[in-house]
This record gives sequence, structure tokens and C-alpha cells, in this order.
Amino acid sequence: VTFDGFKALVRSILTRKRLDDDMEAEMRFHIQEYERDLICRGLSTPEAAKRARIEFGNISLAKEQCREVKGVPMLDEFARNIRYAFRQLRRSPGFAITVILTLGLCVGVNTAVFTLINAVLLRPLPYPEPERLFDVVREMRRGSEFQASTGQDGYAWQALKNARSVQVAALGSTNGVNLGSADRAIYVQQQRVGMGYFRVLGIPLAHGREFDDAEDRSGGPPAVVLSNGIWKRIFHGDESVVGRSILLRGEPHVVVGITAEVFRPRGLVDIWTPLMPSTKGEGSGINYQLIARLNSGASPAQAQAEVQARGVTAFENRRIPPSITARMSLTPFERFNQAALRERLLIISSAAGLILLIGCVNIASLMLARGSARRREIGTRIALGGGTASLVRQLTTEALVLGMAGGAAGLALGYLATQALQAAVARYGIWQELRMDRPVLLATALVSLLVSLLFGLAPIVQAVRMGVRETLLEGGSRSVVGGRSGRLRRMLVLAEVAMSLMLLVGAGLLIRTLLNLQHLDPGFDGKNVLTATASLQDARYREGENINRLFSASLDAIKKEPGVEAAAVGLHLPYQRWLNSGAKIRGRSATVENDVGTSMNYVTPGYFEVLRIPLLAGRVIDERDRKDSMPVALVNEALAHKFLKGEDPLSGFIIDGDTTRQIVGIVGDLQQQPGLNRSGPIVTEPAMYIPAAQFSSKAFQMAHTWYSPNWVVRASGRREAIARGIERAIAGVDPLLPVAEFRSMIDERDSALGSQRLNAWLFGGLAALALSLALVGVYGVVANSVAERTREFGIRIALGGSLRRVIWEAVAPVVLLSIGGVTIGGLLAVLSVRVLKGMLYGVQPADPPTFLIAGAALIAITAVASLVPALSLARLAPADVLRQD
Amino acid sequence: VNTLADLLPGTLDLLVLKAVSLGALHGYGILLRIQQISQRLLQIEQGSLYPALYRLEHAGLIESEWGVSENNRRAKFYRLTRSGQTRLRKEMQQWTLFSEAVGHVLRALPEET
Repeated sequence: VTFDGFKALVRSILTRKRLDDDMEAEMRFHIQEYERDLICRGLSTPEAAKRARIEFGNISLAKEQCREVKGVPMLDEFARNIRYAFRQLRRSPGFAITVILTLGLCVGVNTAVFTLINAVLLRPLPYPEPERLFDVVREMRRGSEFQASTGQDGYAWQALKNARSVQVAALGSTNGVNLGSADRAIYVQQQRVGMGYFRVLGIPLAHGREFDDAEDRSGGPPAVVLSNGIWKRIFHGDESVVGRSILLRGEPHVVVGITAEVFRPRGLVDIWTPLMPSTKGEGSGINYQLIARLNSGASPAQAQAEVQARGVTAFENRRIPPSITARMSLTPFERFNQAALRERLLIISSAAGLILLIGCVNIASLMLARGSARRREIGTRIALGGGTASLVRQLTTEALVLGMAGGAAGLALGYLATQALQAAVARYGIWQELRMDRPVLLATALVSLLVSLLFGLAPIVQAVRMGVRETLLEGGSRSVVGGRSGRLRRMLVLAEVAMSLMLLVGAGLLIRTLLNLQHLDPGFDGKNVLTATASLQDARYREGENINRLFSASLDAIKKEPGVEAAAVGLHLPYQRWLNSGAKIRGRSATVENDVGTSMNYVTPGYFEVLRIPLLAGRVIDERDRKDSMPVALVNEALAHKFLKGEDPLSGFIIDGDTTRQIVGIVGDLQQQPGLNRSGPIVTEPAMYIPAAQFSSKAFQMAHTWYSPNWVVRASGRREAIARGIERAIAGVDPLLPVAEFRSMIDERDSALGSQRLNAWLFGGLAALALSLALVGVYGVVANSVAERTREFGIRIALGGSLRRVIWEAVAPVVLLSIGGVTIGGLLAVLSVRVLKGMLYGVQPADPPTFLIAGAALIAITAVASLVPALSLARLAPADVLRQD
Repeated sequence: VNTLADLLPGTLDLLVLKAVSLGALHGYGILLRIQQISQRLLQIEQGSLYPALYRLEHAGLIESEWGVSENNRRAKFYRLTRSGQTRLRKEMQQWTLFSEAVGHVLRALPEET
């Protein structure tokens, strides 16, 4: 089909009706004019009408010829081809369903992955002029050590808040808080942000205003901004809530604003409160992030220079030691967060691409098989003079119909997958909305079209290349050893097996990583332990006394619930990120105190018993440790090993602020999540435990700004019943304290391993898909070759040939091919799985067992897939075969 | 009387081009014009005029526009395009050459025998 022809075709589709009307009008005009002339020449009216019509000739023939000029017959042929294609597919529903399903799965997977990539990497951020938005990044270099982070302190804020070329806003962490409504309270996500946050992001509030200078400083009037979602959910979209006072964190806050419906923050946030940034308290550590928007009239280079210069002041004020080279810079908004994600998404998308390739190979092989089954039909058509061009057009139409149906199935599957992914990825730092917008739809349509043309090509080439004679001879079930198309199909099997192996090996490595991590000794016994959390960033819990009273009263009540064996409270659980704390350590022999960085956890008596954390020396924290008793601390093995090597740790002291604490016990290490970016996914850090009774009010307030404490309960029985019991017990002590959520220690572990789990699931799913595609592909090839050679096999069996030999002949080539495919795939996998290196734990990329198992599994599965159709030969009745056609 | 089918292929196209070169005409008008200037020596099968018109239009040699006929009826008028003019000139030259040549040959033959 030439381009001109195509244009005419399209035009005729669009204008067919008008063309016919025009033609009709034009010819009627002609005939009527002639009629008039004839009447003028003296003919009677009926006579004239008759003669005009006769002399004009065959009207419909003339019209048909005109249409032909306009390309209309092509349209008709197209429609005929489509009808024919549908009829053909209806006649072999198994084939059609297999192709559409295969294509649907492959396209669906790729649609979902592309939706993800589009949302995270391609689509502009949901803020006006996103290219003017930046994150402020600090880079620290000491010798060969390099660290970059978006974490900032109060000094950086102080140095940058008056910058001329950019507007800067500070933001803090997001954590759960209690929002009072009527007679109860709910647990909502709060983010603390400095003034200017909404202005910098560029989305004005729907109602009210953002925080002003007075509210955003320590001691200012308590204020809150509501998200549009929570405003609608809790306050039913009542605008008069602005200016009203609501109960938040146990005290009244004035609602100053409500965000716009379109506003989408990074992460899940229900309400915002003022950050009150300063260089004291949390501002003395790295607990903020800074975002910046370029002022109009300033160039990015100017802003970069100014931020860098102001950064120098910030580092001086912070007293960064001269051995560290520090630099402040601007990076495009989100670019920093995306760096790690980008690599992972690219790996996942290449895996998805591989699936698409396997799918194509499969479909091409199916089409070839079908092509050879239809070879007699095709050969007959060519022999009878049906032009090659029209044959090609018809086969292309069939491929397109299949492609479009598969694409539609893929779109539907992709939509479902995207829905499932949205919830799953939210936990891994992907906050953007996964939406199948125009680029996604376009890409999906393009891929389906391309793929269908690609696999549609195979039978066309086959049909055109083959002469009529061979076609008629080779067609049907009369052939002996498969002809040229057989060779091509075998190559496709080889490619398919090789690609499947690559995915299988990748999945194997990631699954082994997950298993390795899951089977690490966690250092405690998490079976039958249920945890509950509640926010104590609350005006009623500013004092340590109140907090400890809550802990002991609620624990007493919980212990009375049926099935409960033991209960305790701790700020942190294993697998979580713990509070970082600086302290000094003094051993008995050491005259100097060493500054150490540790993680800190406050616990009530019973914490170690509930979690069955082994005590290695000394004693655990118990009821004797009171506010007025001697200050004590427990350390974990890692801390004792790292900072008190060669000494008796039990005679050492920890100096925590103004308090000197005697180390009274050593407990086993727990798996924690690193606070800094360290090598392993779940590591143990030096840690100390302090009795909750001896925690100061100030320390409680600081810790509860970032973290909600956890109740840990060891109990037997149904999870829901235990959870209700805990809820009831806590509500009995404080009815206004909402319990945020109940989680088992397995849940905790799974969320700590979330990223590895996601990797293993995604790759495992893709590999399973690849495996089933390979299965279908191999089955198809063998089934087809058996069908084609039925007559030959039948004759051989009739003549006394061995059945076993015949079956072996059908199966052997495919098994050999799959061994070849496994070998090639193995070599490719050795090269390609290296990209996974950073995602593995406890297993090398070139792990021999993984390769061996994957290869053996693939060969075994292809052998079974080829044996099943071959065994049908055993049921063959030779006499029937010989009598066939 | 000769019908057009008896003439050389492509002749109808040439006649149509010539007819519309003298001004825009509707289909029936073209028919009349050809009959008139050929002094009724050439008869066109009326219906076959239209496929020729569509073909010429598709080739860009003529263009059409709906207008009003001399007796106030809606009709489609055809007009020669620039490339149509060029083609007409070329065809005319070739035709003249061809017919002269054939004429010479036909006239010469009896004298030689």
C-alpha cells in the first residue's frame, strides 16, 4: 500500500458519505438538464425522461468507477479483510485466545511499568514552574568518604532564609498525631513545615493562609493547616472551620488554612503544623530539609553561587571540623530522591521489556505454526491468482486485529496492575500519582501496533517467499520433517528459553536475598507478639510523670486481658529506625571520655522479657529503676564490643547530657534499620536502653516529636481479639488517646524488608510469567510439529516403527534446543545480572546454585511441555491416519 | 458516428481538458461543449464522462467547485488547474504531431502503389 493510496483510503473513510451524495447530485443534475433540452427539442415529458436515462448509460457503473478513483474500494476491501480476520479467529478460538492473552499479559506488564516510570521520572512535578524548584543538598567529604544528603540543620536555615535569589522554606519530619473530633480522637499524619512552604511549592491554599512569622517561632500561637482530604472527611468541607479552634495534640490549635484540592505533597500528609525552625533543640541536629524556588529575575547560576556562599557561613556556625570539606548546593527538586529509584526502575523496565520480547517470540512462533496450518489455503489462493499484495493486506489486517485485541486486554490488565501498585509503592518513597495519562496510552497503543506488525510479518514473509508448488506440497499434515518455517520456529524457541533463563536467574538471586534476610537471626523472638502505637506528641503528655503513669496503668490493664502473657512499652521496636543520640562513655580504666554515636531506646520493665531478648551479663531494667533511684542504662553487645573493648562493661558509665548512668547489663543485639546509609539492609548498631521512669520530660518531648512509642504484648489467641483487648485497656486509661495501628513483629520485619520484598515479588512475578510463556511456546511448537507430521508418524507406526522412537524424535530436538537456550541464556545472565549487585545480600551475582537450579528447572519444564503433545502419538490409530484426506 | 470507445485511449481526457480550458463548466456542459466543437462528430457515452472527470481531478489536472448553473440550479463546476494547462499544451502538441504523421502516412500510401 503506497502512501498516496493510504491517504486516499483515509480520506475516503472520512468522506465516503459526502462523496456519494455529491456524485448523486451531480449525475441527477446532468440527467435533468438533458431531459429539459430534449423537451425543448419537442419530446413529451415521459419520452424525454426515458431517453435521458437511457443515453446516460449505467449510472451505478459510473458511480462505481468514480469511487474507484477515490480509493473507496480499498476501504471496502479493508472492511472485508477485517470481517474475514474475525471469521478466521472465531474458527480457531484457542489460537486467538492464546495470542490475545499472551499479548495482553506482556503489554499489561509493560503498561504498568511505564505508568510507574512516567509518574516518577517523566511527568513534570505537580507544581507550577517545576524547573524553578530545588532541594538544598549538603555534600560532605572527608578523604575518600563522600556523603550527600538533603538533611539540614537550623544553621543552614538561618543562613539561607534571607537569600536574595531564592525563596527558601524548611520542612521537618512527618509523624502521627492525635486530632480531636467531638468525643473522640483520631490518629492523623502531621508534617511540620516552616512558613513559605506552600508559597515555595507554588500551590496557593484553597481557603485561609499559610503560617506567618509569629506562628512559625517557638512560643507562637498554635496554628494548623488542614489538607483538603481531611477537611472534607472530618469537617465535611465546612469553610467556616477556618479561624476556628480544633483540638490537636491535646491542645487547641487555630485552623489558619485549607490546602487546594490539587495540592499533592511528597508523602502522605493530613495536616501541617509550624516547624518553628531554630538552631536549638532539633535544629541543632540534622532534622530539617530545605526547599527553594528561584526568584524571578535570578539565574540558576546566581542562586547556586549564593547558596554555596551562604552554606559556608552555615558550616562555620555549626563548627564543622576542618578535616571535612562541606558544600551546600541546589539540585532540581526530587532529583536527589530519585537517584536510587531511577536505577531500580530502569532494571525493572528492562525486565519487563524482556517479557515483551519473549511474548513476541511466542506469538511469532504461534503465527508461524498457524501459517503452516493454513499454507494450503494460502497456496491455493495464490495459485488461483489472488494477488500477493491483497494476501499481504489480509494477513496484516489479521495481525492488526489480534494486536488491537491484545492491546486492549493489556490496557485493562495494566490498569488493574497499576491500581495494585499504587498502594504497594507508596511505602517506598513514591508519592506521585500513578495515572494512565496520554503518554502511557500512546506508548501502549504504539507497542501493541508495533508488536502486532512484527509478529504479523512472520507468516507473510513465509507465504510470499514460498512458491506455490512447495506451499501446496508442504501444507496440511502431509509433510515429513518440517520445512524452512520449522527452522525459524526452533530458533524462536532457543531465544525464548535463553531470555526466560535470564529472568529466572535474576528472580532467583533476589528471592535468595529476601530469604537470606528473613532468616538472619533477629536477636529476639517475635512469635505471638502484637504491637500497638499511639502518638504522645500531646499537651497532656509533656511531663515524664504523666507519661509513666499512662504506661504503667495501661500495661496493668492490658495484662488483665485474656490471653496476655506479658506486656511492656518501648520507644522503638526491632527493625525500626531508632533515635540517634550522642553520648560519652567512660570505662573504669579510661581516664578520658569517648564521644560515641549510639541509638537510644527507652523501655519499661518487661520489654526484654516480652521480646525474649537475651541478657548476656548483669540485669535487665526492672521495677527497681525509679525516677529517684540511681540512673542506669543497658547496652547492647555491639556497643560493648565497639566502645568498651577489653574492659568489663558493667563497670562503665554512659554520660547522657547531664546524667551519668551506670551500665548495669548487656543484652543481645537486635536487627535495626540503620539511621545512616550503611551497607547492609538490616544492621545492628551500638544501642543503649534507658528506663522510661528515668527519661526526662525534655527527652520525652524531643523523642515524641519524631516517634510514637510502641506497646509490645505477648499473647496467645486470635489477633483481632487481642487487639481489641489492648484497645479497650488503653481506652480505659485515656479515652482520648487513639491507638494508631496494630502490627505483628512479622509485619514489622516485612516492612523493614519492603524494598527487598518488592524486588523479589516483581522479579519473581516477571520470571513466572516468562516461564509460563516459554511453556506455552514450547508446547505449541511440539504440538504443531506433531500435527504436521501425523501422517508420516502414522505410516511409520503402521509399518512397524517403534513408538518410542517416534516420540523421541518429536521431543528430542526441542529438549536439545532448550539445553542450548539455557547455555546461551546462562552466558547472557552472567553478564546482565551484574546490574543487580547492589540489590543482593548474602549471594553473589554469579551464584552457581541459582544458575544450576534455574537452568535445570527450565530444561525440565520444557521437556514436560514437549512430552505432553508428543505422547498423543501413542493414541494414534495408524489406519485412521492413512485414511485421512 | 464514432463513439468515443472507438477512438484511441486517453482521447476523452484530452477532450475534457480542452473543453474546460475555455472556462469553468459543469459535467453536462462539458458534454455539450465537446459535441458542439466536434460538430457532433464525436459522441461520448454520457455516463463514462464522470469517471474521467474524477480521474482528472484526482490527478490534479482539473479542480471542482459547487456553484450555480445558468438556470439557477446547484451544479458542480470544473476548471483547468495550472498543471492541467501544461498537460493540455503538451498533449495538444503530441496529438498534432501524431495526427499529422499518421495523416501523411495514410495519404502517401496509395500514391506509391
